[in-house]
Amino acid sequence: MFRRITRARPAQTSQPSRTFDPDAPETSGRTARLTDFAYLGETDIYLDAGCQSLRPQPVIDALAEYYTQYNACGGRVKYAWGRRVDAEVADTRRAVLDLLGLSSRTHAVSFTLNTTYGLNLLLTQLPTGRYQRVLTSHIEHNSVFLPTIAAATRLGVPRIVLDRAPDGGLVYAPHELDNAVIVVSAASNIDGRLLTNLAALVDDAHARGGIVIVDAAQAIAHSAALLRGTGADAVCFSAHKMYGASLGVVVATTVLLRSLDISFLGGGMVSDVREDSYDLVPDDPGALLEPGLQAWGEIIALHAAITWAKRVRLDGLTPDLFIERMSRRLFEGLRELPGVTMVNAAASPVVSLYVDGQDSHRLAVFLSKSGIMVRSGYFCAHHYLKEQLGLPPLLRFSLGLHTTESDIDRALECFARLLKGLS
Amino acid sequence: MFCIAAFIVLLFMGAVSARYRRYLSKAWSCTIRRVTFRPCDTTFKQDVKDHLLAPIAVRAPAMVRPASVALEVLAVLVILTTVWSGYTVVKSGLNLYVYGTCNKSDSASCSLGAEACSIPVETPTFAESIVAFDVVGAFGNEFSSLGETISALPARFRDWKAADYLPEGSSYLAAYDEKKETALEVIDPGCTFCRQLFNNIQEAGFDDKYNLTYIAYPIAGTDGYKFENSLLVTQYLEALKLQPGSANAADAALDAEEVPLDWQLLERIFTGENDKGVSFQSRINSMDQPQVTALLEEWLTEFGLSPEEIATVADTAASDEVAGIIAENKEIVETDIHTVKIPTIIFDGRRHDGVVSVDGLN
Repeated sequence: MFRRITRARPAQTSQPSRTFDPDAPETSGRTARLTDFAYLGETDIYLDAGCQSLRPQPVIDALAEYYTQYNACGGRVKYAWGRRVDAEVADTRRAVLDLLGLSSRTHAVSFTLNTTYGLNLLLTQLPTGRYQRVLTSHIEHNSVFLPTIAAATRLGVPRIVLDRAPDGGLVYAPHELDNAVIVVSAASNIDGRLLTNLAALVDDAHARGGIVIVDAAQAIAHSAALLRGTGADAVCFSAHKMYGASLGVVVATTVLLRSLDISFLGGGMVSDVREDSYDLVPDDPGALLEPGLQAWGEIIALHAAITWAKRVRLDGLTPDLFIERMSRRLFEGLRELPGVTMVNAAASPVVSLYVDGQDSHRLAVFLSKSGIMVRSGYFCAHHYLKEQLGLPPLLRFSLGLHTTESDIDRALECFARLLKGLS
Repeated sequence: MFCIAAFIVLLFMGAVSARYRRYLSKAWSCTIRRVTFRPCDTTFKQDVKDHLLAPIAVRAPAMVRPASVALEVLAVLVILTTVWSGYTVVKSGLNLYVYGTCNKSDSASCSLGAEACSIPVETPTFAESIVAFDVVGAFGNEFSSLGETISALPARFRDWKAADYLPEGSSYLAAYDEKKETALEVIDPGCTFCRQLFNNIQEAGFDDKYNLTYIAYPIAGTDGYKFENSLLVTQYLEALKLQPGSANAADAALDAEEVPLDWQLLERIFTGENDKGVSFQSRINSMDQPQVTALLEEWLTEFGLSPEEIATVADTAASDEVAGIIAENKEIVETDIHTVKIPTIIFDGRRHDGVVSVDGLN
């Protein structure tokens, strides 16, 4: 498949100086940007990868290739283009399971719109009477926080909101996990805190009849190791935060999927239909969350993204190590600026802060004028940041593999100059 | 304030560019909240403000704070200017409707109304009062003027009858005919637009259809009279009306063919020219009083008055009786007719302010 992508790259797309060779480790100079992001303008400093990562050229090419060379529906046609789509989609499902170190015998992969959609698909179809409570944590953003409110109401059970330890671990008493639906994020979209006790949480939950659904939107790109081989019942994430095209992914155990009270239905989910009844597909539990036609091109591009992230090397470093190095540089640089209050306790690809007496939205607009793109506000975590911590709107810098040290240095320089002038 | 100012600015910019129209609904929503004393959408306000300040922040961050204050001040100014403009438009419109001029205190400056000589208002303008640090007076006079205009609105709908405003001893151009309606014009002998109206009246044969009479009203100026010799001419006109045998309302029927002396004098002023082609009205306006007196008396001689009769006219013109008549006429013009434009002519159920064209007279 890799060779097929390389060979079929459309000639008319903007080509980086280097072509993508999956067999050769990719490296770059200390300050040079990866050529896979060569389309990025000289003055564009994109520091909002926490919202959506930039797509490397091979991902863009894979998407373009689908649209220009075999734009067919998957899962329902017999002609060559369709068969190729089916093969590519199957490859993507395998690549996702491989990324998480999971087996197709126990897990299935479903594609949807985004992480929020994935979580809602699961939570809105959990069977009633099976669970005693819904658990989540204060730090969650709205894609977890809101669906758990709705789920608890629908299931008629209490919802308990727990704390997270400074290291990101969920703070809970074992009895709280009794027959509980636990929905938590693996990495915070505010400060990058990781769910360090994920494995223990899963074990404890399973021992007490609970299930664990993980929001891996922020973790999947640069902390996938935390999720490898996870025993969680479901992991939801977004391809667009891991260098893929816009797409949601749900990886769930077949047991969980078969237990769902499927009520969101459509084509591709049934083996037979009668006037007043239908039969769900018996041997494809992943399809239970995929009503109707899917985003075939985006699914195929996800495979290209996973492959790219696995192979790419930056200054000889793996993506995780590279991001770690860049995170430290950003964190240290921001921490030294006068007037800045860091929300992060430690370096992370996602760094949030605020400046006393300065509005973060205004700072974001001002930085934007210098070509520096950062996020401002509460990042869909209003409850935690605004209600619980009582913080003003924040400024968030988040890194991706397109980021260079000079990007960080220039952002720090502009930010420092701005703060000095505004103070 | 900023939201409202942004709405005002976007309203104009949106009219010429679709790019700004997308922000209009946000600005409108914000404005509605503001004027109903609810909090504005601070996101919109901040977005607009921040984007305006961003170029300054890049070049000179230290200037952001003063620039931000300047924007707020500018917003207040935009609102004040807009409110004042709106007020001025409404007030001018009302004035135009009621008085035929958008500027009541200087009607000649309003190009939307008919041409006329304005009656200056002695009340200081808003700007003059402000310059004199009389803020209370500025607003007081302004709103009093508006109130006056509003209170005069019903007069606009009134069925105007010239007979209601006739002074005693009115003089008619042609013999008074009960079958005809009466038309009354208010004129200043020195006003060039009165001359124009007089010529239009002649051209339209207006006096064939109406019993045409007039009130001579010398327009007062800031120092004396607007046209220096108008009072003297008016005194002679009134004196002529008082002479035995004059063709006023009471005895017009006695001699239907005779044009009254005062009308002859008016005709000479408004239609006559000297040997150099200069109108007599212009000459009178530039002469000193003895010259005007000599000219008038020369004309009276031409009209057939004896030296004794002319002396009597001159004495009468300077009398208290004539002064009283002129004062009464002034009262009629300023209080009853309440016009601010000269000439004014009442006929056909309406009060026409300024020059009326030949077509209009027909």
